Amino acid sequence: MEELTKEELQKYDGKEGRKAYVACNGNIYDVTDSFLWKNGKHQVIHHAGEDLTGELREAPHDIDFLKKFPVMGRLKK
Amino acid sequence: MAKVTREMVEKAGLNVDEIIELLVKNAGAELTTYYYYTILRANLIGLQGEGIKEIAETARIEDRNHFEAIVPRIYELGGKLPEDMKDFHDVSACPPAALPEDPTDVMAILKVLVEAERCAVRGYTHLCNITAGKDHRTYDLALSILNEEIEHESWFSEFLGEGPSGHFLRRGETSPFVSKFLK
Ligand SMILES: [Fe+2]
Ligand SMILES: [Fe+2]
Repeated sequence: MEELTKEELQKYDGKEGRKAYVACNGNIYDVTDSFLWKNGKHQVIHHAGEDLTGELREAPHDIDFLKKFPVMGRLKK
Repeated sequence: MAKVTREMVEKAGLNVDEIIELLVKNAGAELTTYYYYTILRANLIGLQGEGIKEIAETARIEDRNHFEAIVPRIYELGGKLPEDMKDFHDVSACPPAALPEDPTDVMAILKVLVEAERCAVRGYTHLCNITAGKDHRTYDLALSILNEEIEHESWFSEFLGEGPSGHFLRRGETSPFVSKFLK
């Protein structure tokens, strides 16, 4: 499984046809095909290419939502 | 645009353009849901479907009311609706509540309905969380809609056998919480 640094993850921001990846608890998920992640943005304030572990704790849904998406790799510590 | 209205929200430390974008996305979700629910309601027929038709209709009309209630707030804050309706559909805060592959499968229709309502409940909770104590009018609007979305969710969840919700179908006027924004 591929390992990405925080900087490498930033490239997958979902903008201009790029893939949209988000990290949570060390896993990297591919949310490119999600209706709710169009253009790398979710609910306006959450951005692809970032580690969303902290933001997800405050979200009005649990992390199971992310678990529906394919895991593309791990976030390098 | 209502200049001071916008200024007050900015002064409270909120990014007004983000609030407008969220309002547009939610207005999009309401109008598209109104449209998709029209198709779902038309397919709620037969011994099983007929019993659900009435609450599906109430939820449909109230979603249209939610659209009507949100739009003025967008313009007050200096925003606008997308000119192309196709764009409006595509920025919706919730995925399309599309008719299931087998339109005679009432349980599948119910799942679409409950998921749409759950998306709305999450979306307005998110908007309330962001605006609480800062943008009072958007908060009041989002909370009023949230109160109705919670009832929509509970109606459909009961039919799915998820247990009692404590709610009864609407009697009298629609939108008991949102109607003050429609006058
Ligand atoms: Fe609604
Ligand atoms: Fe609803």
